[in-house]
Amino acid sequence: MRRIGNTAIATVTVVALCSGAWLLHGGAGTHAPPQPAAAEGLPDPGEEQLTAPALPPSPPTRIRIPSIRVNAPLTGLGLTRSGSLDVPPAGDKNLAGWYEAGTTPGERGTAVVAGHVDNAEGPAVFYDLGALKKGAAIEVDRRDGSVALFTVDAVEVYAARDFPDEKVYGAARRPELRVITCGGGYSKATGYQGNVVVFAHLTGSR
Amino acid sequence: MRRTARPLSGAMAGAALAVAAVGALAVNTAPAYAADGGGTLEVYPSSAVPGGQVSVNTKACGDKASAAGDASAVGAGPFTLAPSAHEGDAIGQFRVPESAQPGTYEIVAECAEGGRRVTGDLVVTLTAAQGQAQPRGSVKTGVGGALGRDPAQTAAGVAALAVAAAGGTWLLHRRARGDGI
Repeated sequence: MRRIGNTAIATVTVVALCSGAWLLHGGAGTHAPPQPAAAEGLPDPGEEQLTAPALPPSPPTRIRIPSIRVNAPLTGLGLTRSGSLDVPPAGDKNLAGWYEAGTTPGERGTAVVAGHVDNAEGPAVFYDLGALKKGAAIEVDRRDGSVALFTVDAVEVYAARDFPDEKVYGAARRPELRVITCGGGYSKATGYQGNVVVFAHLTGSR
Repeated sequence: MRRTARPLSGAMAGAALAVAAVGALAVNTAPAYAADGGGTLEVYPSSAVPGGQVSVNTKACGDKASAAGDASAVGAGPFTLAPSAHEGDAIGQFRVPESAQPGTYEIVAECAEGGRRVTGDLVVTLTAAQGQAQPRGSVKTGVGGALGRDPAQTAAGVAALAVAAAGGTWLLHRRARGDGI
């Protein structure tokens, strides 16, 4: 009886020691945001895609991406002094922004939306953006009361050092949308090393 | 930013002016302090090219009210502002004629009820404003805050180690007493 008790206590002690050490050492993962798989990359340029007719310009008010549970208001963004897209205030973790001097989502051209993957407290609005799949739906509410419906063409990750400006921000002949957040590996010294970029085009409205 | 502050259109031009304007026009408007678009016509985009489409909206007419728009200054003629679901704005659209000359034009809307008149400016340019300043480079949208250790996980780890310490102490105690491990 006593021997069994001792064995049980010894077992519990060893298990607790191991799991405690594992948990404190890092545990199941470091909570890095998901990154897109190669299969979600851009399709061949020649591929035929159904595009809805462009909508008249109207500023967007809200973005929803049901498959990754995003539902966030949009604020206007400008450019930083270095010419890069500014970002929404980091304090509000459920706020995204759109490039106000550019195309409005639904209008012909390339509209740009950006949001944080995380802030100092933890995950933020576009934390799961890298997990988005081709064909997923993105909805943008607009001030004129209409909703622009986009379909995801690709989810890419680009290094900040070699960012393909033209591909991401360049003009498009049809109504397109880019949704951008941080990604591509993280180091304490330099932060996130690039961006996750979602490419989508207009497929309807309501 | 895109709103035009005109003395006659009230609210944006500061409380004193707005009070004066309201008095002068003798209309019952939103309080003078409701500065956000209370008395102006928002024009979007505020700068357009000939052939481009323009949206205008106003809160001046109140909830679920329509208005008659007039863009004849730029040669586009009359259009209708219909009530919308968005914050009670009345919204309308028109197209800048291909023949429009560069310049600043006043776009007018008159509320269907009460006849209140609001105006906004449209700048016609020959080159598209878009694409002039396209963003470049990557976007700083994260600080790594999601990568820190989960506090719940840290607590669980500490608790597990405490259990291990207690178990170890118990076993050592027994051994010392010669309870035969």
